[in-house]
Amino acid sequence: MKTTDPITLEVVKNALSSIADEMALVILRTAYSSIVRDSMDYSTGLCDRHGRVIAHGLTMALHLGAFPDAMQALLRDYGNDMQEGDVFVFNDPYAAGGMHLPDVYIVKPVVVAGELEGFACTLVHQIDMGGIAPGSTAVYATEIYQEGLRIPPVKMYERGKPNQTFFRIMQLNTRIPDKLAGDMRAQIAACNTAERGFRVLVERHGSAAFRAMLDELHDYAERLTRSEIAALPKGTWSFTDYIDGLGDAPQPIALKATVTIRGDALTVDWTGSSPQVNGAINCPSPFVKSAVHLMVKCIARQDIPNFEGYLRPLEIILPEGTIVNPTPPAACAARAIIGWRAIDTLMGVFAQIVPERVGAAGEGGVTFPAFSGWHDGRRYVLSETLTGSWGAMRHADGVFGIPNPGGNLTNQPVEMIEALYPIEIEAYGMLQNSGGPGKYRGAPGILRRYRLLGDETTIVMRADRQRFLPWALDGGSPGTPSYHFVQANGTQRVLPQNPMYPVRLTKGETFVHIGAGGAGVGEPLERDPARVLDDVREERITADYARDVYGVVIANGGVDVAKTQAARRRLRLERDPRKPSYLRYFLEPLGLRDFVCEGERTLSAR
Amino acid sequence: MSYRIAVDIGGTFTDIVLMARSGKIATHKTLTTPEDFGRGIAAGISRVLEAVGAKPAEVERVIHATTVATNTILEHKGALTGLVTTRGFRDVLEMRRLRIPEMYALNYARPDPLVPRRLRLEVAERMGPDGSVRVPLDEASARAAGERLAAEGVEAVAVSLLHAYANPLHEKRVAAILRQRLGEKVFISCSSDILPVIREYERTSTTVINAYLGPTLGRYFESLKRHLAGIGIDAGIHVMKSDGGVMSVAAAAERPAYIVESGPAAGVIGAAAGVQDDVITFDMGGTTAKVSVIEQGKVQHTGDYEVGAGINLSSKLVMGGGYALKLPVIDISEVGAGGGSLVSIDAGGLLRVGPQSAGAMPGPVCYGQGGTQATFTDAALVLGYLNPQAIAGGGLRLAAQKGRAAIAEQVAQPLGRGEMRAAYGVLQVAASTMVRAVKAVTTYRGRDPRGFTLYAFGGNGPLVGAIVADLMEMRRVMIPPNPGVFSAYGLLLASVEHEIVRGFLVRLNATTPAQVAERFQALEQDLVTRMRAEGYSRERVELRRFADLRYAGQAHEITIPVEGSGPDFAQLARAFGDEHERTYGHQAEQEECECVALRVSARVPADLQPCSNAPRVTTAAAPGARKAYFGPKHQALDTPVLSRAELATRRAGPLIVEEYDATCVVPPGWSAALDAQGNIVLTADENH
Repeated sequence: MKTTDPITLEVVKNALSSIADEMALVILRTAYSSIVRDSMDYSTGLCDRHGRVIAHGLTMALHLGAFPDAMQALLRDYGNDMQEGDVFVFNDPYAAGGMHLPDVYIVKPVVVAGELEGFACTLVHQIDMGGIAPGSTAVYATEIYQEGLRIPPVKMYERGKPNQTFFRIMQLNTRIPDKLAGDMRAQIAACNTAERGFRVLVERHGSAAFRAMLDELHDYAERLTRSEIAALPKGTWSFTDYIDGLGDAPQPIALKATVTIRGDALTVDWTGSSPQVNGAINCPSPFVKSAVHLMVKCIARQDIPNFEGYLRPLEIILPEGTIVNPTPPAACAARAIIGWRAIDTLMGVFAQIVPERVGAAGEGGVTFPAFSGWHDGRRYVLSETLTGSWGAMRHADGVFGIPNPGGNLTNQPVEMIEALYPIEIEAYGMLQNSGGPGKYRGAPGILRRYRLLGDETTIVMRADRQRFLPWALDGGSPGTPSYHFVQANGTQRVLPQNPMYPVRLTKGETFVHIGAGGAGVGEPLERDPARVLDDVREERITADYARDVYGVVIANGGVDVAKTQAARRRLRLERDPRKPSYLRYFLEPLGLRDFVCEGERTLSAR
Repeated sequence: MSYRIAVDIGGTFTDIVLMARSGKIATHKTLTTPEDFGRGIAAGISRVLEAVGAKPAEVERVIHATTVATNTILEHKGALTGLVTTRGFRDVLEMRRLRIPEMYALNYARPDPLVPRRLRLEVAERMGPDGSVRVPLDEASARAAGERLAAEGVEAVAVSLLHAYANPLHEKRVAAILRQRLGEKVFISCSSDILPVIREYERTSTTVINAYLGPTLGRYFESLKRHLAGIGIDAGIHVMKSDGGVMSVAAAAERPAYIVESGPAAGVIGAAAGVQDDVITFDMGGTTAKVSVIEQGKVQHTGDYEVGAGINLSSKLVMGGGYALKLPVIDISEVGAGGGSLVSIDAGGLLRVGPQSAGAMPGPVCYGQGGTQATFTDAALVLGYLNPQAIAGGGLRLAAQKGRAAIAEQVAQPLGRGEMRAAYGVLQVAASTMVRAVKAVTTYRGRDPRGFTLYAFGGNGPLVGAIVADLMEMRRVMIPPNPGVFSAYGLLLASVEHEIVRGFLVRLNATTPAQVAERFQALEQDLVTRMRAEGYSRERVELRRFADLRYAGQAHEITIPVEGSGPDFAQLARAFGDEHERTYGHQAEQEECECVALRVSARVPADLQPCSNAPRVTTAAAPGARKAYFGPKHQALDTPVLSRAELATRRAGPLIVEEYDATCVVPPGWSAALDAQGNIVLTADENH
């Protein structure tokens, strides 16, 4: 085979990824719903004519596995029946390789001189696809039929002409037709933009040469991945992490990953994960695969381009009928929770394989409340993506206020929310005395408090990490738990992390989100007292907390060295692992006085 | 005779350009004196005045661009600054918008907030989004904040309360209470004054940047005035803003956040003054390449900007690495590819150039200052593009042998290619990175670069201009005289400009033209007052109105000019729809338009126009020819080496034009000639 020179390959690779980024910008700037434009829950990409990914825009990392299975489903259904001007739409996890119904794929074949050369692909989390709850992400659905409109691959445009049948059906199956239409328009605009740039590339190099270059770039990505894997230690490692469970009496749900490294290939086996459940958190396999792809890229020391060839050295085993590969008609609208936990599980494995590259567990992913109600005579849905507390690394404190590695999301401006919805946000910031202590501590937890001004507001919510705390490393302490409260007139009730019903709030009540704090690394009593002093000065922790948790005694604005040594000696002997002080400091101000910590990180509190 | 003097301070050199009323120009390059910038500037100005035989008293204006503001932020050397926020929101500054500029990074370290948490204090109060007072200000909490900040010894305070864009009442009261306790010396900035628009993080961050820079820039300007007075210059000093206009030094001292990108802006303004058509400016120096678009002579602006992010691709997708500064900035995208960019081979066998740079020290291997890793400049040397003996008119002697060896060992051998082929690859890969910067301001915004001229300047812009143009299928490259000090020249051509913006979130069908007109008039009144304080009467000021519009429900606005005193909403909606279509390829006529903010700009046009005898090149190049390599198709060719003056008649490439401050390469397939302004114009051949 004739090989293209490395310089041209680099130039073509850059050109493709800049097209994918350009698509992402078009969606960002023209989308209507806040989950797209502010939270940036969407992805863009390009595929070659075989449906293999050749570029992925800089958006949602956990969508990395989104396109391969979906594109195979599309090619399976349509094969050669693709013409210039066609645009395809689909969302079904079982019939179309999708992830959950709100993630709507819009894909446009790129035809140059009568030949199919590739695809422009977009995936946007649409604000509402119908179903049992506004936002279409109810955790309490039990079958996919309750979750909204299922779309197999169909043509929404045929040779440039809109398919009115599709648009009319769609219009009737969403609570918010105008935003849905606007966001779909943004997707189509992105595809059109990409089609132009893609065509120019093919024409510049000629079809045959261009196709050969893509093959070589797949091989290049494969080579890079293999060189990364080959540099890792050989062997087999396992880790099990848990989701707290569903509803008022949650039962733990396990995710178990076993990683085997042989030569320059890597296998991830999810055998041992829990069976699928009677709630909407079952996770169709593309999303779990995404977590594996993501983790390999995180571990790699160099950039691996998003050419699907990089997946060839990876084998992923996903037993059918489990939470990581459910069979129909399992509900899956709130499946993202499994994707986030799959990242934590894989981090738990790789923290053993390459300790210096992986830290302790963070907040455990995005908490996803969807608020809905009526405002100025219109239906609204506000979905929030709450995240931002990382676990400690082996030589650094956990970073506060950056998104989970699985998704480069943004927060929504408080002022914008208040201007558009009947909601007032009373506080947004870090919670003092939170996060897991350690020689290097986890990031503090996040507080966001909403006062609801509408007559009735419904919240559908998905959260985690109250019972199974973020796991620590090397003798550090687990992170602090996540909590959700409804408060009114001085009373409060604790909500389940995953309520199996819509939570209804009346005017003036407040909804409080507390995100889990990141876990620590290393013995807290070995933390540099200067770092503890800094945390006190910056009001991340109180002086009492410094004394009781870290054994650091502060006097006259400095560390009292002698008293600190004495306090640390005493704490070593007297600490009660079932009732660690840091959890007392965290829970008591929340009105939770009765608690016990079992095993390494299992919390019960009242 | 009266003179204007432009002073552009860079990291290594300070460039000075003097222009007489007649349009005559003199230039001078002097080393920057970072311990006291004013000293170096005054010494340099004295030299240039002496050279043309002018007296200090004849200097009527000094126009200045400086990187001091940017560097103060990059090096975290600003004032000890406090921040006062609404209760519950002290951490907005630290949490930002969460998003980070990297993916797949488990060890990302975010830049520290400019105000540490202990100095971020809260007051009890609450405004609604409509400007109504929901909870009155608790003055005791404001006094407590004042006590605390006084005890901590802050030099500056930013005040940023929720919804202050809709009603500044509480911010003003807090500022007054702080002023009373902290005295006149402490620099206080209110968000309702600096950036009265919705979105709390962006507004707070911008206000904090202003406060953080205030004391440092205040001292800097004082020193500058003192040194200039010391050599007998008492002319007005103007400072270039990031948006390309200039403001008085007094205004800049109050609003230093406006001058953060003053250096890069100057080059774009210089280019805009010299052209009427569509150009893409391409300013390539030692570490980065900066690209901006000028359409029909008009500079493009953006509000999505971050300072301190290192590289600013002008793209929302890679935001989060710096500090949000939401003031109008010339839309410049920047990539880490410059003369000092390091060359490497990755594990997959592909060639990489940058973003790491050898900087000025140790610099490229061929500078012989101890650099060992091959750079872009070493590749240019191997190709025969640079004079192998010396550059900068003999000012910098080159160690050509070392540069060649580095390219041979580190690039050619691992790639299994010849030296020339490898070095050419370095230029091509660097150019493909720069293409990203070009695309960020063109195709990403719906503009087709093929209709534009590439306007190349900076130390390395003229060297690769034609290669970059080829990749973008652009057919014309223009290289102004004195390309290496071009930014300083641009300062002389800037007009005095101010802009004022105020949040006004409303659907167009929920307001009336009369209400909008009333708001515009209030803004205009404020602006005219400000201009008068700068010494410009109402008659000299051109006022223009703009509205930031979007389809109701979108998150991003487009700024649209508003014509007429009582705006025609239908016409406005049409103009918005057209611009939306131009930028994003579609419009939605049935959607409602929503206004987010109103803007008014005031401009006093520059009274000096670039004249036909604007900067002429005096240096004569070493004549002759040398071998230069132009890719596998052309291989190495005997290439004439000329001076700019020798292009009076059109000549076909390959050619090399050597000048004091830059080298211009005209590849085969291109030809070059001078235009009436002394620009070198490169044109691609018909069938190239």
